[in-house]
Amino acid sequence: MSSLLEVSGVSVSFDGFKAINNLTFQIGEAEMRAVIGPNGAGKTTFMDIVTGKTRPDEGSVLWGEKSQSLLSMSESQIAQAGVGRKFQRPTVFEDQTVAENLMLALKKKRGPLAVLGFRASGADQDRVVELAEEIGLSGALGRKSGELSHGQKQWLEIGMLLAQEPRLLLVDEPAAGMTPAEREHTTEILVEAARTRAVVVVEHDMEFVRRLNCKVTVLHEGSVLAEGSIDHVTSDEAVIEVYLGR
Amino acid sequence: MTDATLAPARQPIVRRYPVLLVFLGCLALFTLGVTILSEGFGIGIISTSFVKTLGKTLCLCLVALAMDLVWGYCGILSLGHMAFFGIGGYAIGMWLMYARTEIIVVQSLSAAPLPPTAQEISDGIATQIFGVVGASEFPPIWAVAHSLPLQLAAVVLVPGLLALVFGWLAFRSRVTGVYLSILTQAMTLALALYLFQNDSGLRGNNGLSGLQNLPGLGHVPQSTISIWFFWASALALGLGYILCTWVVSGKFGSVIRAIRDDESRVRFLGYPVEAYKLFVFTLTAVIAAIAGALYYPQAGIINPAEIAPIASIYLAVWVAIGGRGRLYGAVIGAAFVSLLSTYFTGGQAPDINLGFYTIQWVNWWTVLLGLSFVVVTLFAPKGLGGLFDLIAARTAPDRHGADLGPDVGALREKEAEK
Repeated sequence: MSSLLEVSGVSVSFDGFKAINNLTFQIGEAEMRAVIGPNGAGKTTFMDIVTGKTRPDEGSVLWGEKSQSLLSMSESQIAQAGVGRKFQRPTVFEDQTVAENLMLALKKKRGPLAVLGFRASGADQDRVVELAEEIGLSGALGRKSGELSHGQKQWLEIGMLLAQEPRLLLVDEPAAGMTPAEREHTTEILVEAARTRAVVVVEHDMEFVRRLNCKVTVLHEGSVLAEGSIDHVTSDEAVIEVYLGR
Repeated sequence: MTDATLAPARQPIVRRYPVLLVFLGCLALFTLGVTILSEGFGIGIISTSFVKTLGKTLCLCLVALAMDLVWGYCGILSLGHMAFFGIGGYAIGMWLMYARTEIIVVQSLSAAPLPPTAQEISDGIATQIFGVVGASEFPPIWAVAHSLPLQLAAVVLVPGLLALVFGWLAFRSRVTGVYLSILTQAMTLALALYLFQNDSGLRGNNGLSGLQNLPGLGHVPQSTISIWFFWASALALGLGYILCTWVVSGKFGSVIRAIRDDESRVRFLGYPVEAYKLFVFTLTAVIAAIAGALYYPQAGIINPAEIAPIASIYLAVWVAIGGRGRLYGAVIGAAFVSLLSTYFTGGQAPDINLGFYTIQWVNWWTVLLGLSFVVVTLFAPKGLGGLFDLIAARTAPDRHGADLGPDVGALREKEAEK
């Protein structure tokens, strides 16, 4: 399988603290990957580097068939290239309706002049309705997203990610603050998404990761500690040591 | 904010935004009413000077509209938009002053035995205009002052370019929030201080004067000219309102409101945030400049004090009191506060004698304005425009309980319990 994202030898330090230390990571075109690790392992910093929020001190981040370097691109260019990100805290535009939020995320031209002349076609509106159904918010299209519950906001954000049609989806703790039923639904959406694109899920919760049933990368102190199936990594001596303490 | 959920596609803008039609109707009625009551075209109940005040107020409403677009919608608290307004005024003022002085100089030289050369006329104009700052030559920035079309182009281009360059530098460095406000204020202050110098080429603190006299139209009474400018101002406000409504109505409005609320999230959606900010900043600078170009011929005089940062702060206060984030709120705020300000500072308001102290409104008006700004910010964040919500609430379905959030349509108490 050809790889979609190739991170190699990346290091970054904040005020002398090495948040990421010689990290190497690869993911293929249509693959689900869970990234786990204790607090401070560098999971969020890793996402920051891929999405362009943080510039690494060394190393390379290559993207797509043409092995384009993401390091010279701005956040918005990276997002347009096909990297979508979901934050830990649900961030939707609370002052706008669910429909407006989804319409914003819909994969369209992003420049100011193109947007100024943009009028939603029937197909665009159908797509918004379809997405709303997928995330269980079809009854709430006209509501301000600020009115939604925490779990619904999480879904709306996932819906916005899907609307972007990214080739790589980075999801930071999607199940945080969800009820068991909501978690199940979230798992379904993610597994479904991973059929056609690469999905990286950062998660604390081992149970949730087990349900995703995918390859797992364990991060520790900014580098990869172990990689493989969930059973493989949970039986790894080093992982047990890090997670359970000596 | 109307319900733009799933019906915005093919309808004309007035159908989607009935407020636009109401606003244009009110503006047309107001224009007609003032014309009928004016001295120039009607029965003469409204004095020419008051017509000018009203015309100037319309220009202030237009610049408030620009401020609402850049601040209320896009979240950039610019303290520089009155500088763009002033530059627009200077640009048109240069031509007005040049052309009128030229007529006077040609007239006075025509009595001479030999016909004057072009150089003599030019020197005469320069001495007339710059004698007051001890110069007698045209500074380079007056190069195109003889041409009305070129100066009109300057009204748009100079502030537009300044906003473009300044905005590009500021937004590119990701300066946001209060730091950006300070930066815009610094730009405004620097510009004002520069113009205060006698060798700035724009007559220092004397500014440009006599702008109410249109060159070649000396025979037309001011009562007529005032109405012309009043109409032009009303037209500009109407067009500006349509433009702003169009900009904020569709997806573009959605994007800039999103930028206001969470800039980095918009970036991760793939929108080039800086380009949007730059677009809005420059567009509103141009609108402000056009408003200024219509304002100063009615005011008659412009000097650097008009550009000082305090003017831009007042502008922000008007928009806040009127209610930012809604276009008619900005217009109402600017009209209401600036007319009240004219009333109180014009010496018409009766002093209040408290026995031990007499409140003189000329001095106390700013205190009252400051207090009302604080009160509005603390207790009525929706501003005067929020009053319309109260009216709308009477006809809207009873949703039980108080608002839980500051915005229209925020969840109400009883709904949240479900």
